[in-house]
Amino acid sequence: MLKKLFFLGLFMALPLASFAIDDVKDVDIQKESAIQKRLTDVGTSILNANKIDGRVVFVYDKTEVKEKLKLDKTLLDRQVIVYGYDYKFIEDDNELAAFLSRRIAEAYRSYPGLFSGYLNSVKIKAAPKKYQIIFDKIGVDYMVRAGYNPVAMITLVNKSYPQKRGDSLTSNVTSKRLAKIYEHICIKYPYYLVNNEYYHNKSYQNFLLTSVNNRKMLEEKLRTRSRKEPVYE
Amino acid sequence: MNKVAFILAIFLCLTPLCVNAENTVDTGVLDVAQVENKEPVQDEIVENILKQRNVQKPSAHLNYDYKSTKTTPIRFSIKERIKSEADVYEGQIIEFEAQSDVYYKKQLKVKKGDTIKARVGTVITSGMNGIPASIIFDNFEIPNVKKGQVQDTFEVFGQDRSLFVFPLKWALTILPPTGSLTNFIMGGHVKIKEGKVFTMYYHPEWL
Repeated sequence: MLKKLFFLGLFMALPLASFAIDDVKDVDIQKESAIQKRLTDVGTSILNANKIDGRVVFVYDKTEVKEKLKLDKTLLDRQVIVYGYDYKFIEDDNELAAFLSRRIAEAYRSYPGLFSGYLNSVKIKAAPKKYQIIFDKIGVDYMVRAGYNPVAMITLVNKSYPQKRGDSLTSNVTSKRLAKIYEHICIKYPYYLVNNEYYHNKSYQNFLLTSVNNRKMLEEKLRTRSRKEPVYE
Repeated sequence: MNKVAFILAIFLCLTPLCVNAENTVDTGVLDVAQVENKEPVQDEIVENILKQRNVQKPSAHLNYDYKSTKTTPIRFSIKERIKSEADVYEGQIIEFEAQSDVYYKKQLKVKKGDTIKARVGTVITSGMNGIPASIIFDNFEIPNVKKGQVQDTFEVFGQDRSLFVFPLKWALTILPPTGSLTNFIMGGHVKIKEGKVFTMYYHPEWL
């Protein structure tokens, strides 16, 4: 009798459990859809504000990180993929714009040139370290023209990129990237540093704390109006 | 009766623990607040240099309407020769000169000889594998033309030697390490002569 009751209970509980799973899936889909909408809104406003006449699309992929064997679609398909790992660092629209704008700069650079931009893509792949800084700078320009605060590029890079021991063949050490971004904002968009919305942001304060030497070099450059490029650490 | 007494005893024992836990959380909140109230790290560049300058908010291009397909070319050339990308620095203002009159609906918009100002936005130095240097000019100021009506940036490249470096590198892969030696071929520098005419497109009906 007890067995019968147990199976009856189990039988009645199964549909409830499946409804619960469906509800969880619906919530996940709604969340993903909201994130996708946010990406498309911010990304498209950057494209329009900067008169970017090449198509670039934005896709949210909730997987944690890009698998190593997967090809980077930014240059191949002009598709900016935001992975869950990257998205979790993004706190506001300015930081999202920072992430997207440097990827847009990369994707857009693969449009002009010989063989439908293929040669340009090869150049970017051949000199990734050089182009990393260039895309940071162009990304900052895109952000400003789209009405976003470029200081968010500093806060985002500061909290999401690790500090390796030194420059590698393929990427710059993050503190050097940050110094270059800061210098670019300082020279072209000082308004955002003088009226700094991110001044009390913990990530920005951490950048200030960890960039004292680099900022001293820049201060010296600005003070003496020197054209010599500082050797950032 | 025993059961009720037992549950009551457990409840009484747990209450102080909960209170302690709440206190601990409260203390944590106070610590964070104290940290936030701390004086933030000062930015001397802003305090000593930037605040002495007259800084203006850069204009954003938020109102746009790309319905119109009408375009008119604006031809211009540089006023002073640039021999290399090393001659210029980011933020420098460069002057160009309109090379022909530009009309729209029988109205003169840009007169031949008008000065067109642009800023050096980004300087890209030449790289290995024949990758050329380039200068990205931005923030164009053209009389009678809104910023939204012309392209935002204009890039001038040096000689692109990657056109022969990459095929050469691939051809030499059968003779290692000769292919790798092509890495050391540098790209060309940016040279802009006075007579060199550039073209950018003016979209008279864009906002």
